[in-house]
Amino acid sequence: MIDTSRSTGAGKHRRRRAIRAAAVAVVVGLTGSACLAEPGAGRNRGAEDDVVEVMYGFSGDQSQSFQDIVQPWADQNGIKVKLSSTPDFDKLIRSRVAGNNLPDIAIYPQPGITLDIALSGRLIDLNTVVDTNRYNKNNMYLFDAASDAAGKVWAIPMSTSVKSLVWYPKKAFQAKGYTVPKTHQELLALTDRIKADGTPPWCVGIESQAATGWPATDWVEDYVLRFGGVEKYRQWTSHQIPFNAPVVQQALDEIGKIWFTEGNVFGGRQAITSNAFATAGNPMFENPPNCFLHRQASFMAQPGSFPDRIVEAIDEEAGVFPLPPIEAGAGQPVLGAGDLAGLFNDNPDTVRVLEFITSKEFGNQMAPKGGFTSPWKDFDQSKYPNDTMRDIAKIAYSASEAVFDGSDTMPGEVGSGSFWRGMVAWVTGQKDTATVLKEIDESWPDY
Amino acid sequence: MTAKVMTALISIVAGVGGALVLYYLLNKLAERLPGRWEDRIKPYVYILPAVAAIGLFLIYPAYQTIVYSFANRTSTEWVGLDNYQQLLTSEAFLQTLFNTLLWIVIVPTATVILGLAVAVLADRLRPRGEKLTKTIIFLPMAISMVGAATIWRFVYEARPAGQPQIGLQNAIVTALGFDPVVWLQQERFHLNSFWLMVILIWAQVGFSMVLLSAAVKGVPTETLEAARIDGANERQAFFRVVVPQIWPTVTVVFITVLIGVMKVFDVVYVMTNGNFNTNVIGLEFYNQLFTNGNAGFAAAIVVMLMVAIIPVMIYQVRQFRAQEAGR
Amino acid sequence: MTTVSQGPQPTPVPGPVTDRKTMGGRRRHLAGVGENAGKANWIVKAVLLTICFLWIVPVIGLFITSVREPDAANATGWWTVLKSPLDVTQWTLANYTEVATESNMFRAFINSFAITLPATLIPILIAAFAAYAFTFMQFKGRDVLFIVIVSLLVVPNQVALVPLLQLYGQFGLNGTFPAVWLAHIGFGMPLAIFILRSYMATLPKELIESAKVDGATHFTTFWRLVIPVSVPALASFAIFQFLWVWNDLLVALIFLGPGENEPMTVNLAGLIGQQGQGWQLITAGGFFTMVIPLIVFLSLQRFFIRGMVAGSVKG
Repeated sequence: MIDTSRSTGAGKHRRRRAIRAAAVAVVVGLTGSACLAEPGAGRNRGAEDDVVEVMYGFSGDQSQSFQDIVQPWADQNGIKVKLSSTPDFDKLIRSRVAGNNLPDIAIYPQPGITLDIALSGRLIDLNTVVDTNRYNKNNMYLFDAASDAAGKVWAIPMSTSVKSLVWYPKKAFQAKGYTVPKTHQELLALTDRIKADGTPPWCVGIESQAATGWPATDWVEDYVLRFGGVEKYRQWTSHQIPFNAPVVQQALDEIGKIWFTEGNVFGGRQAITSNAFATAGNPMFENPPNCFLHRQASFMAQPGSFPDRIVEAIDEEAGVFPLPPIEAGAGQPVLGAGDLAGLFNDNPDTVRVLEFITSKEFGNQMAPKGGFTSPWKDFDQSKYPNDTMRDIAKIAYSASEAVFDGSDTMPGEVGSGSFWRGMVAWVTGQKDTATVLKEIDESWPDY
Repeated sequence: MTAKVMTALISIVAGVGGALVLYYLLNKLAERLPGRWEDRIKPYVYILPAVAAIGLFLIYPAYQTIVYSFANRTSTEWVGLDNYQQLLTSEAFLQTLFNTLLWIVIVPTATVILGLAVAVLADRLRPRGEKLTKTIIFLPMAISMVGAATIWRFVYEARPAGQPQIGLQNAIVTALGFDPVVWLQQERFHLNSFWLMVILIWAQVGFSMVLLSAAVKGVPTETLEAARIDGANERQAFFRVVVPQIWPTVTVVFITVLIGVMKVFDVVYVMTNGNFNTNVIGLEFYNQLFTNGNAGFAAAIVVMLMVAIIPVMIYQVRQFRAQEAGR
Repeated sequence: MTTVSQGPQPTPVPGPVTDRKTMGGRRRHLAGVGENAGKANWIVKAVLLTICFLWIVPVIGLFITSVREPDAANATGWWTVLKSPLDVTQWTLANYTEVATESNMFRAFINSFAITLPATLIPILIAAFAAYAFTFMQFKGRDVLFIVIVSLLVVPNQVALVPLLQLYGQFGLNGTFPAVWLAHIGFGMPLAIFILRSYMATLPKELIESAKVDGATHFTTFWRLVIPVSVPALASFAIFQFLWVWNDLLVALIFLGPGENEPMTVNLAGLIGQQGQGWQLITAGGFFTMVIPLIVFLSLQRFFIRGMVAGSVKG
């Protein structure tokens, strides 16, 4: 790098090096003191104005409905709000927390992020701001989804969804004389019966581009819940028992019985990882149906998933029953999900906004637009737009045990990473059950 | 709405104008100094804004990244070399490194060759044909990555056998009588990575074509004529006269694409998220930082990237010296 | 590696190109437009046709998908509509109208310009000065600094996001245009300097030297000589920087956020539901956002004519 046109006096050489060394030292000195981040440090600039900023990740129609309800209410009540719908919510909320640019309220699509951010010390424990007589797990479905082992509640549900549902093509199903199974055995029997009648009974699809594998995690969670009960489920999702505990192995084996048996799934085993989850159930609405059963969440019943003509006549075309418990009389366990609202500061206006968006009043306006299930168990069911939504809501509210989607509660490495990938490897037969579970267990971060 | 447009226009003028004024002032300042000092200070004046921008936006974060690579996931405690050790001993990460190597070898080479081919061949077309060709090749660059992902979904998509295919490749395959293939899940010989590389090459050839086309047009025809007079045929003329003269541009393009490929992530992210053994370092970095929230791992990965670039930089240094000597 | 070979030396063309009038007069020596054009034989044409076809087929697929109903797009391949192109029922403009009437699309469009234009023009200016200094001036640490700058190309931009957020937060810059401008200027600088400097290095010393002999200062040389002659490189970089900023989502999302300053990319991304519903809007939206960069590309094409540099420089 020495320019040959310059003189190469040794003095010049040495001086240049000295200058360089000094410069480096200055830089190191200046930044060295600020090199490591302090947990919970820095002022929150977001809290210093009088506008309540609500940051959330849903968009499109849902966001529009949300704004149409919250804005007028805020205007009526003299509160200034800023409603920011943001794509890529989980990446952005992390950046904003790290960059000290916090919103006042954030609506999380998963408790896992909430718990992660709670570690940063910026979240307010909601026990200190809401009335626990009203807001508790007896009154609210999935109330304690975002509470940690110490009992602190970091976020409460604003809207929820039900995941332990099996959809079927109503007309064809009834025409064939099939009945809704009430236990797991009956479900297996129904599977065999449909197969004997000449159609693959199940449609299964877990492809979801970057998130491929997540629908499989829902199946696993449902069965761990059913085989192990709420206690074991909670221990599993909080890593108090290892990921490859026997109950999980049992769940996978059971699912394998349904998925991998020849002729059980439309398209065969190899189609599972390539079928896009949103449209995987559509073959059952063809004439004649190419399958009869599709286990998927309540958000299937909207444009973009089921075909438009089905969505428009959902009550006549599609039926839904809860994924049965293992044994009769054991109550109905339900896996659910939802959007949870949490606070970064506790000034009065912010708290009022939080109380409003988690209230029944809000739900009364949101429900008729469809795609929304209120978390309140005593919600006025007449507000739901069709019978299908009412049935789903009933399933949620009358659940004997309701838990939040496990992969949403686990840390990102697992819940959005190794669990999804492990499922894909397991379905394609690349790795066997024991290996997959062990690898997922090992990927659990220790903090 | 007009207020918005006005604000936008004013912002544009203010931004650009401000920069020009800054330079003018700095330059005038430098000119005021006595001769010898002026010569010494001038270069620094010229590079000052650039270096300041780079210093703030890249050097400072890069430095912080190096520091964080020795700290834990929330950057609150030192962990020494743990991050590196854990990464380099993990099977998954080593696979990721290998995949990235494949990308680095294949994509820049293909991009440069294709770009050069188009630049040279299109040069021989009439102006309108040339413009059309170049626009078509450039088109993929104008489409954002999200749009590109949607496009290629309709090429690679697989439906179960017997169902109508909506992916172009499978439509062709089934028309020929075979079963549909789930392209992006074919791990043997890393074929699926290759299909992803196609997407990146498709998007990047526009870049290499634009730069190489400018370079090819910059070759004075006297040199070509002289070669032809000497009896060279087209191929010899190309390889012996044109290529050496455009070689600096070829290296610029190659290195730029190479570096871009080293940190590629969005192609792989939207198509497979690294599943089916398609993971690459750029995506691993992104996932570690944003999905897992592990700043330590993410930083360690960046440091490894920076180390990996050193051989490329050494080559660049040699290039400069050669250029300097030849001028 | 090899140095730049000069090839066989024809008679030198005297003088730098400071008077534009005579540019046209040098047509004898310059290649001009017609030199190589029209020389394509059928092999060349066939090869180009194949490449162009392969390149454009996916884009056509996207276009056709954007004028179909999403249900249809999910059910059958897009090429099936070509069997009966006149069947009007399979075409729909719903995707486009939905995107266009999306309440804030026009505002987002203006915002995209407000973000992209300064973020394209300013880096070029700054980088041109720096590239000139790196090429034609001598100073301490020149080569080291250049290597460092180019090495920074490998640093993923995401590492800068959190430190910058914190920094901007202190100055209250978050959510404003300057935040994004500065970020793009910083991120685009290494590539700009790399490309411009590499190009300027191919200009011969005689050019600059004769200017110096004529008594020009660095500034004049830069402004009146080097810049006009570097126009192909400047135009190249302008295209890419424009493209990169216009299509950027992450930087805008993090420093501007959704709201009244959001550009088109953020707006479009916000149309997709959490489970991916609304993907058909991306197809239409993709074409919307593609139009402007294409126009920029086409309008900058005239700077790529043969002979900008030839005749005035080489030999």
